[in-house]
Amino acid sequence: MEAMLVDCVHNSLRHFVYKNAIFMCERLCAEFPSEVNLQLLATSYLQNNQAYSAYHLLKGTQMAQSRYLFALSCFQMDLLNEAESALCPVNEPGAEIPNGAAGHYLLGLIYKYTDRRKNAAQQFKQSLTIDPLLWSAYEELCILGAAEEAIAVFGETAALSIQKQYMQQLSTSLGLNTYNEERNLTSTKTTNSEDYSPRQSKHTHGHGLKDISGNFHSHGLNGGASNMTFYNTPSPVAAQLSGMAPPPLFRNFQPAVPNQNSLTTDSSPKSTVNSTIQAPRRKFVDEGKLRKISGRLFSDSGPRRSSRLSTDSGANTNASVATVSGNGNNTSKYLGGSKLSSLALRSVTLRKGHSWANENIIEGVRGEPFDDSRPNTASTTGSMSSTDAKSCDQDDETMSVGGTSLSVQRITIGVSEILCLLRTLGEGCRLSYMYRCQEALDTYMKLPHKHYNTGWVLSQVGKAYFELIDYLEAEKAFRLARQASPYSLEGMDIYSTVLYHLKEDMKLSYLAQELISTDRLAPQSWCAMGNCYSLQKDHETALKNFLRAVQLNPRFAYAHTLCGHEYTTLEDFENGMKSYQNALRVDTRHYNAWYGLGMIYLRQEKLEFSEHHFRMAFLINPSSSVIMSYLGTALHALKRSEEGIEIMEQAILADRKNPLPMYQKANILVCLERLDEALEVLEELKEYAPSESSVYALMGRIYKRRNMHDKAMLHFGLALDMKPPATDVAAIKAAMEKLHVPDEIDESP
Amino acid sequence: MATESSESEEEGKIRGGNDKLIVDDDLREMSKNAAWSVSSSKPGNGVNTLRDDNLETYWQSDGLQPHLINIQFQKKVKLQLVVLYVDFKLDESYTPSKISIRAGDGFHNLKEIKSVELVKPTGWVCVSLSGTDPREFFVNTFMLQIAILSNHLNGRDTHIRQIKVYGPRPNPIPRQPFHFTSMEFLTYSTLR
Repeated sequence: MEAMLVDCVHNSLRHFVYKNAIFMCERLCAEFPSEVNLQLLATSYLQNNQAYSAYHLLKGTQMAQSRYLFALSCFQMDLLNEAESALCPVNEPGAEIPNGAAGHYLLGLIYKYTDRRKNAAQQFKQSLTIDPLLWSAYEELCILGAAEEAIAVFGETAALSIQKQYMQQLSTSLGLNTYNEERNLTSTKTTNSEDYSPRQSKHTHGHGLKDISGNFHSHGLNGGASNMTFYNTPSPVAAQLSGMAPPPLFRNFQPAVPNQNSLTTDSSPKSTVNSTIQAPRRKFVDEGKLRKISGRLFSDSGPRRSSRLSTDSGANTNASVATVSGNGNNTSKYLGGSKLSSLALRSVTLRKGHSWANENIIEGVRGEPFDDSRPNTASTTGSMSSTDAKSCDQDDETMSVGGTSLSVQRITIGVSEILCLLRTLGEGCRLSYMYRCQEALDTYMKLPHKHYNTGWVLSQVGKAYFELIDYLEAEKAFRLARQASPYSLEGMDIYSTVLYHLKEDMKLSYLAQELISTDRLAPQSWCAMGNCYSLQKDHETALKNFLRAVQLNPRFAYAHTLCGHEYTTLEDFENGMKSYQNALRVDTRHYNAWYGLGMIYLRQEKLEFSEHHFRMAFLINPSSSVIMSYLGTALHALKRSEEGIEIMEQAILADRKNPLPMYQKANILVCLERLDEALEVLEELKEYAPSESSVYALMGRIYKRRNMHDKAMLHFGLALDMKPPATDVAAIKAAMEKLHVPDEIDESP
Repeated sequence: MATESSESEEEGKIRGGNDKLIVDDDLREMSKNAAWSVSSSKPGNGVNTLRDDNLETYWQSDGLQPHLINIQFQKKVKLQLVVLYVDFKLDESYTPSKISIRAGDGFHNLKEIKSVELVKPTGWVCVSLSGTDPREFFVNTFMLQIAILSNHLNGRDTHIRQIKVYGPRPNPIPRQPFHFTSMEFLTYSTLR
């Protein structure tokens, strides 16, 4: 009865019928109280967004998977302390972090939100070593500014470790196919080629890949074959196999399956497979499915593929832990075009098109072998046999463990392709968070078109252009991003800011409306709405919208910054400072908040503070000419005008299109009485921006100082022609009146 | 500049008023940073009714003329426009008639800068503070005093429903002598 109930629960979860799942699970727990069943109930609650139920259920449990689920519920309920103590208990400092990569990732997030950035970075790094395909961990590292180069992270070691994982999966599925008793399965898997002594020492416990890394360097073929030895199948594995008969399983299949790569044909072996090993495999498969679904629904945490691997609950345990060989070296010899890798690729390419950030890809890739679309698994086995047949021209090595060797090769190819992709994306991501935007853009250009034209990449490109202050290009990129994935909200807040800068109120209000109708509960939608009102100078409403965004997600730094901007415009400096500081609390590397604080201090004439904050912003984003020009202004105000001019020069070089540093430089020069130089600069500026009244006004002032009254009049007149706002008109007219009166001292800003 | 308040032929007379308050974009309300006080008021119709954005509530004075409304700022501010909401149809003899606007550093040195006469006003009445001189477009002052010298039909006390005071928007870029007008400058002038 227990098995039936468990099945039923899994079924319901798979079909997203949560109420049924919860109900059935309660019966299950009542009838057969066990921690595993408790975990299942907790999972059902978590799927149904009832983290609080899961929390109370799992309080105090000790099993690794329970601790992980408990920590997850605590995290969702914002009880970070408890989450942390669940993941790494205080009295057991050496305890294993449950669920390997995913556990480390969760712990990293907890550290990040409790302000322990170094620890967070450590955890993310560890998570990546365990599971190099946990992209979220890498992204978090980039945000913290602590990421290593993508080539290092997604490089050789990563490739090998992923292959290992796949080998496990492979051998698992094989193992399950032939042998019921899972415990022995793992114990017999070996990674040695020469001596395929079954590693009985290898425990079956779900301690993740840590142990596997120990066997990493063996060259043999996957242990999948070796486990066959245990099961009375005549195929011991050796690296240079010759004439090893494939395990009886495959032999069964071989006649049935002529070689092709179509899934349909594989259904025949599938049926045979199914009939024999229905029960245990189903449980195994369902478990995998369960986790796949649960992984998908947690938008925050990355794929818990490793949870599948390293959990110690259910049938999966043993399977996952199977030791795996580092087959990299050998498999290169084998024929390519293996189905597994093509499957992997296919799922990768399919899903990469959408929400790449969702890591469904990984899910998909990993999930393939476990899918309820049995064809996959079967096809693996089937293809193994098919490739068996195919590889007749190969040495017998390929024949060895049936297609496992070939699937190994597919694995390698798949892995290398994934990693190649991840390398480019990772490098791009890292560079864009380091604000080396031009390099980031170049890196993204290297992506194949089908990946470039996806929502995530395009919005990253848009972000990069935004940081380079190239708003037109940014707008283009974001527009394409919206076309590519119209329902994704990632990066749309930046898009709204771009439209704000370009003063496109129609487009901005349209965007805001669309976003709100897509998702009323996302902070990005309200940020866009707020930007819309702010553009129309209705700052009070804009502020309300931004506060709403903050309420919806207090961990969204940009919403805080935008609040700060509105407060500053409304001259409520105290609240503005608080908002900026909140933003910084969420993300120290959010240079806009540093800039905002600098601006407030500049207005309040607290010049030292202002200079410090602009400098912090500059350190984070050294290529922004706007920050540099404000830093220069602050320095000039502090009477360190020479340094100010230096920075202005830097700013001018950094971005030739930005007229501001030139204007500020002229300002400083005027104050330093270097009037000729100032005039030169202004003449240049005149060419660039012929309709800018402030340029003429300043020139008029200089000419007045020089007593060149005609020119002064001319320029003042020109300045007035450009329709400056009333204050300026008054100031200019006043200056015109006093032309023939000696200069007053209080004319400077 | 504030909009159409129908000036009559005589200097300083304002007829009628507007239903809607429309003010230029480059002006903004300054009243938030000010301390408001009145010379006298009837209980229940105090000074807060002048600032509550509610045209139903009004301030009613309770003493001798001239009735005074004092607006004090913490630092010298530039002011350009004073807007009052008064309604002859509702308030009849309580409607102010002669108004004098004074500015200065404090109670001791207020000087009249503007004097207007309202003739049966029915809505928002805008009083510009600029002098004839283009240089005196704004009034730079610590304190503003609005004095009601007389009412319609010789009423003793006065009703005013709302008062707003406008000044120029500050330069979004601090420490800048002039505003930026062209797109190229504005795009680069701030980060967001």
